[in-house]
Amino acid sequence: MAIVKTIGLTKKYGQNVAVDHLDLEVREGEILGILGPNGAGKSSTLLMLSTITKPTEGTAEVGGYDIRKNPYQVRELVGMAFQEPKLFWVNTPWEILNWHAKVCGVKNPKQSAEKMLKELNLWDARKKRANELSGGMKKRVEVAKVMIQRPKVAIVDEPTAQIDVTGKFQIWDMIGSLRDEGSTILLATNELNEADRLSDRVAIMYRGKLRVLDTPRNLKDSIPGGDVIDLRAEFPISQKTAEEVKAISGVVDLAIMNPTHLRIYLNRAERMLPKIMNRLNELHVGILSINMKEPLLDDVFLHYTGTVLEEESVVAGGGTS
Amino acid sequence: MTKIQFVIERDLRLLMHQYSILIMRWFYVIVQIGIFGLAISRIVIAMQNYYYYYAMGVIVMTMYSVAIFTGYEIYDEADDGFTEYLLALPLSRRELVLGRSLAGGLRSFIFMAPVIAGFMILIGIVDPLRVAAALAALYGFAFGVSGLSITLAVGLRSGDSFDIIMGALDAFIVRLSSALYPLAFMPGPIATLAEFNPLTYASDLFRWSLNFNAKFLTDPLTAVIVLVIFLCTFNFAGVAIYERSLEGGAWR
Repeated sequence: MAIVKTIGLTKKYGQNVAVDHLDLEVREGEILGILGPNGAGKSSTLLMLSTITKPTEGTAEVGGYDIRKNPYQVRELVGMAFQEPKLFWVNTPWEILNWHAKVCGVKNPKQSAEKMLKELNLWDARKKRANELSGGMKKRVEVAKVMIQRPKVAIVDEPTAQIDVTGKFQIWDMIGSLRDEGSTILLATNELNEADRLSDRVAIMYRGKLRVLDTPRNLKDSIPGGDVIDLRAEFPISQKTAEEVKAISGVVDLAIMNPTHLRIYLNRAERMLPKIMNRLNELHVGILSINMKEPLLDDVFLHYTGTVLEEESVVAGGGTS
Repeated sequence: MTKIQFVIERDLRLLMHQYSILIMRWFYVIVQIGIFGLAISRIVIAMQNYYYYYAMGVIVMTMYSVAIFTGYEIYDEADDGFTEYLLALPLSRRELVLGRSLAGGLRSFIFMAPVIAGFMILIGIVDPLRVAAALAALYGFAFGVSGLSITLAVGLRSGDSFDIIMGALDAFIVRLSSALYPLAFMPGPIATLAEFNPLTYASDLFRWSLNFNAKFLTDPLTAVIVLVIFLCTFNFAGVAIYERSLEGGAWR
């Protein structure tokens, strides 16, 4: 059953179309990872779902309430942790969480705030002003707001950006436990590992449109060729060399990730590798390293958008989609 | 209880964080009343007890300048991206605007409480009815000014425009009012303009409540009506503009 449903949801800022007729259904109790580079329309979608901005066209329903007609009821169901922490500079973590808990109707707000601050290792910093906190601390306070609220639909926008490795695992566990307690979670991220690890399903957005939506397993299986070979060359790889490699029988697709990094999609990599190496030898291309792997979500992203997520650059030499 | 109480609580706590500004403003008010007020009242001979008239005007003027602070905070919050957070909370826009307006009025009140209390003791006003009427006049005015500042902060889309308009308003609203001199002593056209100024009615109602000579003041009933219209207009306008403008994403 869909707890969130967008119907032709569109947001324009002047001539710029941030979200373009998005149709998306989020099932109750799932973690839906929304993947996309900056400017893909993730944050604009989430801002509309939390009724902060109004759609230009289309609408969405959250828990059966229309975001245009019943924004207050929608806000009662939704909790949001923003990409950039929203902390007013004079407030302390203690004040922020205690007040947030009260406004959101949390029982025993003081005890809940204390528990959350301790869980996120913020107890010692509870009396510091927000402008005295480190970037990671601010981010943890932001995430703590949603955790303390325990909303029906939790929207978390890049929850582990600026957070150290230990903190990431802690926040991932907390997001998992939030889902286990019955919340539906919309997780916007451009960290592939995070989306892969946490999401029940992943939606890939690119330039305001939904490109694909499925489970991480199904998405990886949808890549043509079951294996991936990453080759790193001594010198930049020319377009001609890439085309020569693509012409080798058994190579399904390829992409130039950066001037010296070639990614090849193929079946039975162990058998194909000698053929590829021979051809590269003939073309006098020196290889520094070879890495064979199964497709990851970044390959899925590359396949459906033609770009690399970490640094949105157009991939030459490979018509990957 | 609605969630307005939490909005008020937050804004009051913010005031407590700004104690250095509070102390500076108190110092300003004390100097203004204690030095300038005493000196100027010796020069003014056309009116008996001008010192008290002046001191009461300064109190109302200061209430105005503290209440207007809410608008500046809204701009600060928009700069910090904090507005998005407030809009995402399970609060209606009405609760948010009214809560902030009520808090703006209360903050002016808390800020001026020591000065008001000191002044009342100085002039020997102990009648609880008179004290209550004086405080109600001050609070109603400050509540309306907060609503005005919210309406302007949200309605004007640039911080620069807000600064310019608030600066201009501050200059005109004080000078074109009976805060520092009675309507009877103003040139005709200026007195007419001052009759449309809520600061005139707030100052005069405050003075009337504290038993100041009524012949220099506007009619108290008219003053009450004007202040009620003033606070209702700008608070409703604030709610309407907040819903249309901010929810549409204009703060971005």
